[in-house]
Amino acid sequence: MQKAPSASRNALNKDAVYSVTAKGKAELGTAGTHLSAPEVKLLVLIDGQTTVSQLLKQASSSLAPAAAVDAIDKLERDGLITSKAAESDGIEATGFFTRPVFPLPSATAETGAQADFTLELLRKQGYVSRIVKKAAGTRKVEPGQKLIVLVVEDDPQLVKLLRMFLQLEGGYELRFAGNREEITAALRLGKPDLVLLDVTLPDADGFDVLVRMRQHPVLKEIPVIMMTAKASREAVLKGLVAGANGYITKPFQIEVIIQAAKSVLGLA
Amino acid sequence: MSYQQLSREFDVLRAEYRKSMPAKLDRIEALWDLILKGMQDDTRLAQLKKELHTIAGSAGTFGLPKVSDVARAAEECLGESADAASLGEKQRTDFIRLLGELKSAAQAPH
Repeated sequence: MQKAPSASRNALNKDAVYSVTAKGKAELGTAGTHLSAPEVKLLVLIDGQTTVSQLLKQASSSLAPAAAVDAIDKLERDGLITSKAAESDGIEATGFFTRPVFPLPSATAETGAQADFTLELLRKQGYVSRIVKKAAGTRKVEPGQKLIVLVVEDDPQLVKLLRMFLQLEGGYELRFAGNREEITAALRLGKPDLVLLDVTLPDADGFDVLVRMRQHPVLKEIPVIMMTAKASREAVLKGLVAGANGYITKPFQIEVIIQAAKSVLGLA
Repeated sequence: MSYQQLSREFDVLRAEYRKSMPAKLDRIEALWDLILKGMQDDTRLAQLKKELHTIAGSAGTFGLPKVSDVARAAEECLGESADAASLGEKQRTDFIRLLGELKSAAQAPH
Protein backbone atom coordinates (compact mmCIF):
# COMPACT_ATOMS: atom_id res chain seq x y z
CA MET A 1 0.00 0.00 0.00
CA GLN A 2 1.28 3.41 -0.85
CA LYS A 3 2.08 5.83 1.93
CA ALA A 4 -0.26 8.77 2.20
CA PRO A 5 1.50 12.01 1.39
CA SER A 6 2.15 14.32 4.31
CA ALA A 7 1.57 17.36 2.15
CA SER A 8 -1.00 17.69 -0.58
CA ARG A 9 -0.32 19.80 -3.61
CA ASN A 10 -2.22 22.75 -2.26
CA ALA A 11 -0.75 22.54 1.20
CA LEU A 12 2.85 21.72 0.35
CA ASN A 13 5.01 23.28 3.01
CA LYS A 14 7.60 25.39 1.26
CA ASP A 15 9.89 25.23 4.29
CA ALA A 16 9.83 21.45 4.28
CA VAL A 17 13.04 19.56 3.62
CA TYR A 18 13.02 16.24 1.82
CA SER A 19 15.61 13.52 1.52
CA VAL A 20 15.85 10.68 -0.95
CA THR A 21 14.88 7.28 0.45
CA ALA A 22 16.77 4.06 -0.27
CA LYS A 23 14.09 3.27 -2.86
CA GLY A 24 14.67 6.67 -4.43
CA LYS A 25 18.43 6.15 -4.54
CA ALA A 26 17.90 2.76 -6.16
CA GLU A 27 15.61 4.38 -8.71
CA LEU A 28 18.30 6.93 -9.53
CA GLY A 29 20.79 4.12 -10.02
CA THR A 30 18.70 2.12 -12.45
CA ALA A 31 19.51 2.20 -16.12
CA GLY A 32 15.92 2.70 -17.15
CA THR A 33 13.59 4.68 -14.93
CA HIS A 34 9.85 5.08 -15.17
CA LEU A 35 10.06 8.58 -13.74
CA SER A 36 9.31 11.67 -15.77
CA ALA A 37 12.11 14.14 -16.51
CA PRO A 38 10.88 16.66 -13.87
CA GLU A 39 10.72 13.91 -11.27
CA VAL A 40 14.27 12.78 -12.05
CA LYS A 41 15.50 16.37 -11.93
CA LEU A 42 13.95 16.90 -8.50
CA LEU A 43 15.21 13.57 -7.23
CA VAL A 44 18.72 14.69 -8.15
CA LEU A 45 18.26 18.11 -6.52
CA ILE A 46 16.81 16.78 -3.26
CA ASP A 47 19.65 16.50 -0.75
CA GLY A 48 18.13 16.45 2.71
CA GLN A 49 19.02 20.11 3.29
CA THR A 50 17.39 22.19 0.60
CA THR A 51 13.89 23.45 1.33
CA VAL A 52 11.00 23.01 -1.10
CA SER A 53 11.04 26.71 -1.78
CA GLN A 54 14.74 26.58 -2.74
CA LEU A 55 14.14 23.48 -4.86
CA LEU A 56 11.38 25.26 -6.76
CA LYS A 57 13.77 28.13 -7.45
CA GLN A 58 16.56 25.83 -8.58
CA ALA A 59 14.23 23.93 -10.89
CA SER A 60 12.44 27.01 -12.17
CA SER A 61 14.46 27.37 -15.37
CA SER A 62 13.18 24.08 -16.72
CA LEU A 63 10.15 23.37 -14.60
CA ALA A 64 6.95 25.28 -13.92
CA PRO A 65 6.28 25.61 -10.17
CA ALA A 66 3.01 23.70 -10.39
CA ALA A 67 4.70 20.83 -12.19
CA ALA A 68 7.47 20.78 -9.62
CA VAL A 69 4.98 20.67 -6.76
CA ASP A 70 3.15 17.81 -8.50
CA ALA A 71 6.43 15.98 -8.97
CA ILE A 72 7.39 16.33 -5.29
CA ASP A 73 3.94 15.14 -4.31
CA LYS A 74 4.23 12.07 -6.54
CA LEU A 75 7.79 11.26 -5.46
CA GLU A 76 6.65 11.28 -1.84
CA ARG A 77 3.59 9.14 -2.57
CA ASP A 78 5.79 6.63 -4.37
CA GLY A 79 8.13 6.48 -1.37
CA LEU A 80 11.11 7.82 -3.28
CA ILE A 81 11.52 10.83 -1.02
CA THR A 82 10.48 11.52 2.53
CA SER A 83 10.16 14.68 4.50
CA LYS A 84 12.89 15.06 7.11
CA ALA A 85 10.32 15.35 9.89
CA ALA A 86 8.60 12.11 8.88
CA GLU A 87 11.93 10.37 8.42
CA SER A 88 13.09 11.03 11.97
CA ASP A 89 9.68 10.97 13.59
CA GLY A 90 10.77 14.44 14.52
CA ILE A 91 9.51 17.93 14.13
CA GLU A 92 9.47 20.15 11.10
CA ALA A 93 11.88 22.66 12.55
CA THR A 94 13.08 24.32 9.37
CA GLY A 95 12.47 28.02 9.73
CA PHE A 96 12.00 27.72 13.48
CA PHE A 97 14.13 30.81 14.03
CA THR A 98 13.11 32.72 10.93
CA ARG A 99 9.34 32.55 10.91
CA PRO A 100 7.61 35.71 12.08
CA VAL A 101 6.04 35.45 15.52
CA PHE A 102 3.15 37.31 17.09
CA PRO A 103 4.23 39.85 19.69
CA LEU A 104 3.34 39.16 23.28
CA PRO A 105 1.89 41.60 25.77
CA SER A 106 4.68 43.51 27.44
CA ALA A 107 5.56 42.48 30.95
CA THR A 108 7.83 45.42 31.48
CA ALA A 109 4.99 47.89 31.11
CA GLU A 110 3.61 46.86 34.47
CA THR A 111 4.17 49.07 37.42
CA GLY A 112 6.04 47.65 40.40
CA ALA A 113 2.86 47.24 42.42
CA GLN A 114 1.10 45.41 39.61
CA ALA A 115 4.09 43.13 39.14
CA ASP A 116 4.16 42.27 42.84
CA PHE A 117 0.48 41.47 42.64
CA THR A 118 1.06 39.25 39.61
CA LEU A 119 3.74 37.28 41.40
CA GLU A 120 1.48 36.85 44.41
CA LEU A 121 -1.27 35.64 42.10
CA LEU A 122 1.08 33.16 40.46
CA ARG A 123 2.04 31.74 43.81
CA LYS A 124 -1.62 31.28 44.66
CA GLN A 125 -2.18 29.52 41.35
CA GLY A 126 0.29 26.80 42.18
CA TYR A 127 3.70 27.97 41.05
CA VAL A 128 6.21 26.52 43.49
CA SER A 129 9.94 25.86 43.83
CA ARG A 130 11.22 29.25 42.73
CA ILE A 131 8.48 29.65 40.15
CA VAL A 132 7.36 26.36 38.71
CA LYS A 133 3.85 25.39 37.78
CA LYS A 134 2.99 21.82 38.67
CA ALA A 135 1.51 19.69 35.92
CA ALA A 136 -2.26 19.42 36.16
CA GLY A 137 -2.21 15.64 36.41
CA THR A 138 0.13 12.81 37.26
CA ARG A 139 2.06 11.25 34.42
CA LYS A 140 2.36 7.49 34.28
CA VAL A 141 5.65 6.33 32.89
CA GLU A 142 5.78 2.78 31.56
CA PRO A 143 8.69 0.58 32.66
CA GLY A 144 11.62 1.30 30.38
CA GLN A 145 9.98 4.43 28.99
CA LYS A 146 12.24 7.46 28.93
CA LEU A 147 11.09 11.02 28.85
CA ILE A 148 13.01 13.20 26.47
CA VAL A 149 14.55 16.26 28.08
CA LEU A 150 16.10 18.87 25.84
CA VAL A 151 18.61 20.96 27.76
CA VAL A 152 19.35 24.24 26.01
CA GLU A 153 22.46 25.55 27.73
CA ASP A 154 25.74 26.86 26.38
CA ASP A 155 27.87 26.68 29.52
CA PRO A 156 29.76 23.37 29.21
CA GLN A 157 30.29 23.10 32.95
CA LEU A 158 26.58 23.42 33.69
CA VAL A 159 25.84 20.97 30.88
CA LYS A 160 28.16 18.45 32.50
CA LEU A 161 26.49 18.93 35.86
CA LEU A 162 22.94 18.66 34.49
CA ARG A 163 23.87 15.58 32.48
CA MET A 164 25.32 13.90 35.54
CA PHE A 165 22.37 14.55 37.82
CA LEU A 166 19.61 13.91 35.29
CA GLN A 167 21.27 10.66 34.26
CA LEU A 168 21.48 9.57 37.85
CA GLU A 169 17.84 10.44 38.35
CA GLY A 170 17.10 8.00 35.52
CA GLY A 171 14.12 7.82 33.22
CA TYR A 172 15.32 10.61 30.97
CA GLU A 173 16.72 10.60 27.48
CA LEU A 174 18.87 13.69 27.36
CA ARG A 175 19.53 15.97 24.44
CA PHE A 176 21.68 19.04 24.56
CA ALA A 177 21.82 22.18 22.47
CA GLY A 178 23.86 25.33 22.95
CA ASN A 179 22.95 27.46 19.95
CA ARG A 180 20.33 27.96 17.25
CA GLU A 181 21.67 25.30 14.94
CA GLU A 182 21.81 22.72 17.71
CA ILE A 183 18.31 23.63 18.89
CA THR A 184 16.90 23.12 15.40
CA ALA A 185 18.81 19.85 15.03
CA ALA A 186 17.61 18.61 18.43
CA LEU A 187 14.00 19.41 17.61
CA ARG A 188 14.27 17.50 14.35
CA LEU A 189 15.13 14.39 16.36
CA GLY A 190 11.67 14.38 17.86
CA LYS A 191 9.35 16.08 20.26
CA PRO A 192 10.84 16.52 23.72
CA ASP A 193 8.76 16.01 26.86
CA LEU A 194 10.48 18.89 28.62
CA VAL A 195 12.79 21.74 27.68
CA LEU A 196 15.20 23.31 30.16
CA LEU A 197 15.94 26.58 28.49
CA ASP A 198 18.77 29.00 29.19
CA VAL A 199 17.93 32.58 28.29
CA THR A 200 21.28 33.97 27.21
CA LEU A 201 22.65 31.92 24.34
CA PRO A 202 25.45 32.94 21.97
CA ASP A 203 23.18 33.49 18.99
CA ALA A 204 19.68 33.25 20.38
CA ASP A 205 17.48 34.65 23.10
CA GLY A 206 15.72 32.05 25.23
CA PHE A 207 12.62 34.23 25.44
CA ASP A 208 12.45 34.23 21.65
CA VAL A 209 12.88 30.44 21.57
CA LEU A 210 10.03 30.13 24.06
CA VAL A 211 7.73 32.39 22.05
CA ARG A 212 8.49 30.42 18.90
CA MET A 213 7.77 27.17 20.69
CA ARG A 214 4.46 28.47 21.99
CA GLN A 215 3.45 29.43 18.44
CA HIS A 216 4.57 26.14 16.90
CA PRO A 217 1.79 23.61 16.24
CA VAL A 218 3.72 20.66 17.69
CA LEU A 219 5.83 22.32 20.36
CA LYS A 220 3.29 24.64 21.93
CA GLU A 221 2.25 22.30 24.77
CA ILE A 222 5.73 21.17 25.81
CA PRO A 223 6.64 22.27 29.33
CA VAL A 224 9.50 24.74 29.40
CA ILE A 225 11.53 25.72 32.42
CA MET A 226 13.61 28.82 31.94
CA MET A 227 17.00 28.76 33.64
CA THR A 228 18.60 32.14 33.74
CA ALA A 229 20.82 34.54 35.56
CA LYS A 230 18.38 37.28 34.55
CA ALA A 231 16.77 37.54 37.93
CA SER A 232 14.87 40.79 37.64
CA ARG A 233 11.15 40.81 38.27
CA GLU A 234 10.60 42.02 34.72
CA ALA A 235 12.59 39.11 33.31
CA VAL A 236 10.68 36.56 35.38
CA LEU A 237 7.37 38.03 34.27
CA LYS A 238 8.52 38.15 30.67
CA GLY A 239 9.18 34.42 30.79
CA LEU A 240 5.88 33.63 32.43
CA VAL A 241 3.90 35.89 30.10
CA ALA A 242 5.57 34.11 27.18
CA GLY A 243 4.27 30.81 28.53
CA ALA A 244 7.11 29.31 30.57
CA ASN A 245 6.02 26.63 33.03
CA GLY A 246 8.83 27.51 35.35
CA TYR A 247 11.45 30.16 35.89
CA ILE A 248 14.52 29.26 37.90
CA THR A 249 17.18 31.81 38.49
CA LYS A 250 20.86 30.99 38.28
CA PRO A 251 22.92 30.09 40.10
CA PHE A 252 20.60 27.24 41.02
CA GLN A 253 20.87 24.33 43.35
CA ILE A 254 20.83 21.27 41.15
CA GLU A 255 18.13 19.67 43.31
CA VAL A 256 15.83 22.58 42.47
CA ILE A 257 16.12 21.81 38.76
CA ILE A 258 15.50 18.09 39.31
CA GLN A 259 12.45 18.81 41.44
CA ALA A 260 11.14 21.41 39.01
CA ALA A 261 11.49 18.96 36.11
CA LYS A 262 9.48 16.37 38.02
CA SER A 263 6.85 18.96 38.92
CA VAL A 264 6.14 20.17 35.41
CA LEU A 265 6.28 16.64 34.02
CA GLY A 266 3.70 15.45 36.54
CA LEU A 267 6.13 13.04 38.18
CA ALA A 268 6.26 14.70 41.59
CA MET B 1 26.01 5.63 40.03
CA SER B 2 25.31 5.77 43.75
CA TYR B 3 24.70 9.02 45.59
CA GLN B 4 28.12 8.66 47.22
CA GLN B 5 29.74 8.39 43.82
CA LEU B 6 27.63 11.29 42.63
CA SER B 7 28.79 13.38 45.54
CA ARG B 8 32.39 12.59 44.66
CA GLU B 9 31.76 13.43 41.01
CA PHE B 10 30.14 16.68 42.04
CA ASP B 11 33.22 17.51 44.12
CA VAL B 12 35.35 16.87 41.05
CA LEU B 13 33.18 19.21 38.99
CA ARG B 14 33.39 21.86 41.69
CA ALA B 15 37.17 21.54 41.77
CA GLU B 16 37.31 21.77 37.97
CA TYR B 17 35.16 24.86 38.08
CA ARG B 18 37.42 26.55 40.63
CA LYS B 19 40.43 25.60 38.58
CA SER B 20 38.86 27.22 35.53
CA MET B 21 38.28 30.53 37.32
CA PRO B 22 41.74 32.09 36.82
CA ALA B 23 41.52 31.62 33.05
CA LYS B 24 38.05 33.17 33.04
CA LEU B 25 39.26 36.12 35.09
CA ASP B 26 42.26 36.54 32.81
CA ARG B 27 39.91 36.74 29.82
CA ILE B 28 37.78 39.30 31.62
CA GLU B 29 40.82 41.40 32.51
CA ALA B 30 42.19 41.19 28.99
CA LEU B 31 38.87 42.32 27.55
CA TRP B 32 38.63 45.15 30.04
CA ASP B 33 42.19 46.27 29.20
CA LEU B 34 41.32 46.42 25.52
CA ILE B 35 38.19 48.40 26.31
CA LEU B 36 40.15 50.83 28.52
CA LYS B 37 42.74 51.28 25.80
CA GLY B 38 39.93 52.57 23.67
CA MET B 39 39.93 49.82 21.09
CA GLN B 40 36.62 50.61 19.48
CA ASP B 41 35.15 47.18 19.07
CA ASP B 42 31.60 46.85 20.35
CA THR B 43 31.81 43.09 20.42
CA ARG B 44 34.38 43.23 23.24
CA LEU B 45 31.98 44.87 25.67
CA ALA B 46 29.25 42.41 24.74
CA GLN B 47 31.73 39.59 25.19
CA LEU B 48 32.77 40.95 28.57
CA LYS B 49 29.14 41.13 29.70
CA LYS B 50 28.55 37.58 28.46
CA GLU B 51 31.57 36.27 30.40
CA LEU B 52 30.35 37.95 33.56
CA HIS B 53 26.80 36.76 32.97
CA THR B 54 27.98 33.16 32.60
CA ILE B 55 29.99 33.32 35.81
CA ALA B 56 27.11 34.98 37.65
CA GLY B 57 24.86 32.16 36.53
CA SER B 58 27.11 29.26 37.36
CA ALA B 59 29.62 29.99 40.15
CA GLY B 60 27.01 29.66 42.91
CA THR B 61 25.95 26.25 41.63
CA PHE B 62 29.56 25.12 41.95
CA GLY B 63 29.91 26.38 45.50
CA LEU B 64 31.09 29.94 44.86
CA PRO B 65 28.06 32.08 45.71
CA LYS B 66 30.10 35.19 46.44
CA VAL B 67 31.70 34.97 42.99
CA SER B 68 28.23 34.81 41.45
CA ASP B 69 27.10 37.85 43.41
CA VAL B 70 30.12 39.98 42.45
CA ALA B 71 29.98 38.88 38.81
CA ARG B 72 26.32 39.89 38.67
CA ALA B 73 27.16 43.27 40.24
CA ALA B 74 29.92 43.76 37.66
CA GLU B 75 27.57 42.83 34.81
CA GLU B 76 24.97 45.25 36.14
CA CYS B 77 27.63 47.93 36.53
CA LEU B 78 28.23 47.82 32.78
CA GLY B 79 24.48 48.17 32.35
CA GLU B 80 23.09 48.77 28.92
CA SER B 81 26.23 50.45 27.62
CA ALA B 82 26.56 49.37 24.04
CA ASP B 83 30.14 50.43 23.49
CA ALA B 84 33.23 51.42 25.43
CA ALA B 85 32.79 55.13 24.67
CA SER B 86 29.47 55.25 26.51
CA LEU B 87 30.99 54.00 29.79
CA GLY B 88 31.07 56.81 32.31
CA GLU B 89 33.93 57.55 34.67
CA LYS B 90 32.02 56.23 37.68
CA GLN B 91 31.14 53.05 35.82
CA ARG B 92 34.79 52.49 35.03
CA THR B 93 35.90 53.11 38.62
CA ASP B 94 33.18 50.86 40.02
CA PHE B 95 33.97 48.15 37.53
CA ILE B 96 37.67 48.13 38.43
CA ARG B 97 36.72 47.82 42.09
CA LEU B 98 34.34 44.95 41.33
CA LEU B 99 36.97 43.22 39.22
CA GLY B 100 39.26 43.27 42.27
CA GLU B 101 36.48 41.88 44.44
CA LEU B 102 35.81 39.18 41.89
CA LYS B 103 39.43 38.05 41.98
CA SER B 104 39.47 38.02 45.77
CA ALA B 105 36.21 36.05 45.94
CA ALA B 106 37.52 33.49 43.44
CA GLN B 107 40.76 33.06 45.38
CA ALA B 108 39.17 32.92 48.84
CA PRO B 109 39.42 29.53 50.54
CA HIS B 110 36.19 27.52 50.39
